[in-house]
Amino acid sequence: MAGVLVFGDTVGGKLAPASLEMAVAGAALAQALNEPLIGALIGDGLDAAAVEFTGGFTALHLLEGKQLRPYTARAAIAAARAAIDACQPTVVLFPHTSETREWAPRLAAMLDTGLVMDCTALSAEGSDLVVSKPVYGGGVVAQYVVRGATRLVTVRTGVFEAKVGAAAGAINKIAVADAPAGRVTLIDEHKLQVEGGVRLKDATTIVSGGRGLGGPDNWHYIEETAGSIGAAVGCSRPVADSGWVSSAHQVGLSGTSVKPDLYIAVGISGAVQHLAGISNSSTVVAINVDGDADMFTRANYGVVGDYKEVLPGFVARAKEIRG
Amino acid sequence: MNIIVTVKQVADPNIPPAHIQLDPDGKRIISPFGVPPVMNGYDANALEEAIRLKEAHGGKITVLGLGDDTSRESLKMAVAMGADTAVLINDPELVNGDSATIGRALAAAIKKIGLPDLVLCGRQSSDTDGGQVLHWLAEALDLPTVVPVTKIEAVEGNQLTVHRLIEDGYQRLKVELPALLGVSSEINEARHPSVRGTMAAGRAMISGWKAADIGLAAQTPKVELRELQIQLRTTKAELIGGASGAQKGAALADKLHELGLI
Repeated sequence: MAGVLVFGDTVGGKLAPASLEMAVAGAALAQALNEPLIGALIGDGLDAAAVEFTGGFTALHLLEGKQLRPYTARAAIAAARAAIDACQPTVVLFPHTSETREWAPRLAAMLDTGLVMDCTALSAEGSDLVVSKPVYGGGVVAQYVVRGATRLVTVRTGVFEAKVGAAAGAINKIAVADAPAGRVTLIDEHKLQVEGGVRLKDATTIVSGGRGLGGPDNWHYIEETAGSIGAAVGCSRPVADSGWVSSAHQVGLSGTSVKPDLYIAVGISGAVQHLAGISNSSTVVAINVDGDADMFTRANYGVVGDYKEVLPGFVARAKEIRG
Repeated sequence: MNIIVTVKQVADPNIPPAHIQLDPDGKRIISPFGVPPVMNGYDANALEEAIRLKEAHGGKITVLGLGDDTSRESLKMAVAMGADTAVLINDPELVNGDSATIGRALAAAIKKIGLPDLVLCGRQSSDTDGGQVLHWLAEALDLPTVVPVTKIEAVEGNQLTVHRLIEDGYQRLKVELPALLGVSSEINEARHPSVRGTMAAGRAMISGWKAADIGLAAQTPKVELRELQIQLRTTKAELIGGASGAQKGAALADKLHELGLI
């Protein structure tokens, strides 16, 4: 057995951008281990995504079946096992998503093999696979050696730089049979509409408010500021827990991980679990009356002052600038 | 409905990042002086959900932890909140085990206690952010799982209807009991202990089990922790000045415009 098997991901039949990041991460590892690089996609109707999923794979396995969309863990595991059986890899990479974080650990337990999730660095030391991942909400990085015949790793998205590579040497379609009914059955899916239409995780600009605002009656300061620059609205965990705004806005370890170009944190102290959710933001601004707030240690720019004065000044100037 | 809730004791996640400390061999996060460890937040949500299910449907709640003897504090807290009994696996050989080892140890303990209708776990712990133990546990007991669960909508006979969080909404799923659910914080707000509960916790006898007590064979680690490293945050924010709050706000807008960000 040999090979580094890289799973891509699809959203609405299209290749998710993170797939090419996985291919880049896998290519470096395959070269270091001197093993072939193999690709795989799981879904229903993968022809379009397969064309986009490049990275110099010797082969690209397409695991197809109607039961694979919408997602259920049991169907995804059956498909992944079919791909692993087909190429017997020594390492398997998956993008770290809300789906893989549910089914990859069960797959590891079924295969009785090592798995580390949400990794930000991978390397080969001889034949050893060494991975790093943020723990404790991002305040600490842990380095692990992964053991097992088929070592599994989920890779944090947004860490490796996606590149378009060479088309796969061969495309191998594998029809995955629908297994008999299991003990978990999907009834339906409900999409939540986020006000303003910008999904937090996709937003390029976010204005977030924390407990420092004092109460829900002051939340309009955040909305007005966000509105003035076309930003999505976020909040810290205490704000969502207190019900000032819907938890759909919550940024952080227990909420949404975001990666905007600009993140403005207002009245947020900067607990580890909040900082973990914004670690991929490009530019962070902290506005807080307490100049010692931890938020300033993560921010590129800071304003020490009362948000009730700072934000109206900001909004007025932003409106002038943006005409 | 008989429920087992797994509870892990962790360093308080609200410690400011600058105060995080490691033990001398660099393998464990330790709680700084004066900041006691706490019950993992998601586990507290799992326990709260168990208590609500017991209030509605009757049954018994057992909390199960794995850790050193200080972990008794979190188990006592669990009894104070409303759990009926608590069990601790405090074998030093297991405390630093990987997810597979800990999941299998919990499974072995659950077999000894007796398989319940429902196992509730937190979706992950806030220290290692691993999110694996519950799946190794479920596989060892051959239980169906749903993770992360944000609502238990209905209980009908041996079936639950639950909500599972997805990127832009939620799935509704039917789950046959016995099952294991990995609970997320959206599901509820964990209660504080009552006075009566705190008194009960004071009297609670918490068993301490070793690997031999639960018939767990020696485990070969599948993942080895090499080291932990504190991420030094050296970034110092560039402060935007101004004569008044409003002027600082305007200066910030100018700066962000200059950077092409707004």
